[in-house]
Amino acid sequence: MHEMKRRDFIRGATLGALAFTVGGAPILLTAREARAQGVPFRLLKAGEAETLEALGETLVPGARAAGISHFIDQQLSVPPEEALLEARILNVKPPYANFYRAAIAAIDRASQAREGRRFAQLNTLEQRELVDLMRQGKLDGWQGPPGPFIYFVTRSDAVDVVYGTVEGYESLGIPYMPHIAPERRW
Amino acid sequence: MAKFEKVDVVIVGAGASGSVYAAVLSKTGKKVVVLEQGPDWKLSDLISSDFWGRRIKHGGAPFVLEGRNPVSYGYQSGWGVGGAALHYFANFPRLLPNDFKVKSEAGRGLDWPIDYKDVAPYYDKVARDVGVSGDAKAEEIWRPAGAPYPMPPMKTFRNGDIWLKGFEAVGIRMAPAAVGMNSTAYKGRPACIYDGWCHVGCPTGALSNPLVTYLGDARAAGVEVRPWSTATRVLTNGNGTRVTGVEYYDQKKEKQFQPASVVVLAAWAAQNPRILLNSANGAHRKGLSNRSGLVGKYMTTHFASGTWAIFDEDVQNHMGTTGAQYMSYDRYGKTSHKGAFGSTFIVAGSALKTSDLGGFANARLDLFGAELHAFMKRAARGLTRINAFGEEMPNVENRVELAADKDEFGMPLGRIVHSYDEDVARVWNANFEEGLKIANAAGAKESWSGRGNIPTIHLMGGTIMGKGGGDSVVNSYGQSHELPNLFVAGPGIFPTSGASNPTYTIFALSLRGAERLAGKWKAIVG
Repeated sequence: MHEMKRRDFIRGATLGALAFTVGGAPILLTAREARAQGVPFRLLKAGEAETLEALGETLVPGARAAGISHFIDQQLSVPPEEALLEARILNVKPPYANFYRAAIAAIDRASQAREGRRFAQLNTLEQRELVDLMRQGKLDGWQGPPGPFIYFVTRSDAVDVVYGTVEGYESLGIPYMPHIAPERRW
Repeated sequence: MAKFEKVDVVIVGAGASGSVYAAVLSKTGKKVVVLEQGPDWKLSDLISSDFWGRRIKHGGAPFVLEGRNPVSYGYQSGWGVGGAALHYFANFPRLLPNDFKVKSEAGRGLDWPIDYKDVAPYYDKVARDVGVSGDAKAEEIWRPAGAPYPMPPMKTFRNGDIWLKGFEAVGIRMAPAAVGMNSTAYKGRPACIYDGWCHVGCPTGALSNPLVTYLGDARAAGVEVRPWSTATRVLTNGNGTRVTGVEYYDQKKEKQFQPASVVVLAAWAAQNPRILLNSANGAHRKGLSNRSGLVGKYMTTHFASGTWAIFDEDVQNHMGTTGAQYMSYDRYGKTSHKGAFGSTFIVAGSALKTSDLGGFANARLDLFGAELHAFMKRAARGLTRINAFGEEMPNVENRVELAADKDEFGMPLGRIVHSYDEDVARVWNANFEEGLKIANAAGAKESWSGRGNIPTIHLMGGTIMGKGGGDSVVNSYGQSHELPNLFVAGPGIFPTSGASNPTYTIFALSLRGAERLAGKWKAIVG
């Protein structure tokens, strides 16, 4: 990319929208828009993204449509010092993809052991029960990052994409009142 | 490697303490270079968003965090020019006289080599320099008189005012919080507009972050700030009697050396000891300024007992400042709580946002799904919080040391080992109990303690000050006992932590140290 254009592009990105790749070209979108447009994932496998969406939706209704998997996937693809993930301030060791992959695998393993199906294939009641046990560290035979920590990190991600945006504030009836507004209502 | 001209002073870190040194020394005509590990932020980078606010938190090599109560390094630290003071809440309580002589007065912890009266003039100077709003007269029920603050107290909101009845009921006196923010226009900077985004960086200039105070002054006086410069070692002359400059890696990951007459380490409480330990050489086999073996030792943090409440009215919790509207030292005595030891500093009135660690959602971590959404709706109208910050006594086992793993520059990672003692748990619990009484007396519809793991807030110690090289790393000015042209600045030089937010004291001690260095320049530089 031409240097000047690249600087403009980065400036746009830092103001709000995230840089996704569509048809080989970078484009600024919100995570919600990226999901709606079916933007391909950069790092997450389809199954991983599916588990993450199901987990996010269980934690915070609306997280799936808000693009939680696209948000996390895009953030895993940038250098750790540029990441906007809560994992960054919770002392998760970079690269953050290692944590998310281990967390997703642990949840699917626990789901298989308990229900014989992956987490995304469970019904909403089963998903809720599993998350509640994970939250309390009460899933027998758990292997992976501590369940309560996974709950905390991914719940924060889901809260971010649903309530941390301008739309999220509007849904709660709170004025956003930015000093410097995030572009595209982030 | 580039060949850099020798400068008078090289400062490692462009946060609160490094900025003060840069401003003071440059104004006396010294040639100063500041090396900053992260990016060079501008006010226009400080977007009002919890997502984007994370960019200004730690982004360098990770610390290995161990112990029963691992330090919350990522949340507390800074990344880039301005350091942690770019996202601090700008609460400006002072330490009190009882913080300086804990050992001799109570037989616990450590003594400082100085008293409150040695620091007090610098609190007053800093208040004038950066702009502090508050009511100094009202604070005289707890501390010796000093100069009035340059601005009146900040505006208050219902999310703070609503607690006052509860505090009064339990006999706790509240005063307007002293904050490093503008209640009125000050020194060309505007008054605060109370939008509650302080914690992700204030782009208006109403909050006294380094960009608009000391670092701004320093740059105006010609200081060169080199972002993306990661310091790895401080070098000494052959016989180890003086430091000669700082080795660092630049943005291209190339090793550089900046020679200087004086080195100031101002890279925060954990990174300073990491650099000192990594600077070991033939003359200083345990690391620089480490004859006592205390480099990295006596790390302390604060903890907080947050009491949440929902009131049956709109408390406008999105309004105000992230810091406090009201404060109290009425539980600051070291034995305020029966059977426990350590000061408590209480604050009330804080703007809340929806996400991030301090947001609505984390007020009830047990909730998820539809229950969380229902809570968020109720929280949006009536949620508010008070906080009681507690003091941890210094423990030599709480430490920073070098780990076996290395970062991209071959420098060993730092390992921070931290565990609280039983006194902390006692103070923490006592403050929760009192918090619920306050909430009930204030008329809260619901109230609960924000329990979980005991939090670790702020970071102090690791290069403590003292009277001599046998039991400390630096003197009260931050000057090494062993290397006269090496200074250490920041919260790392606190021997004890008190319970007050540390940055006002960081500014004050840095100003005291920098003025000393400037005043004794010839004697120090030789």
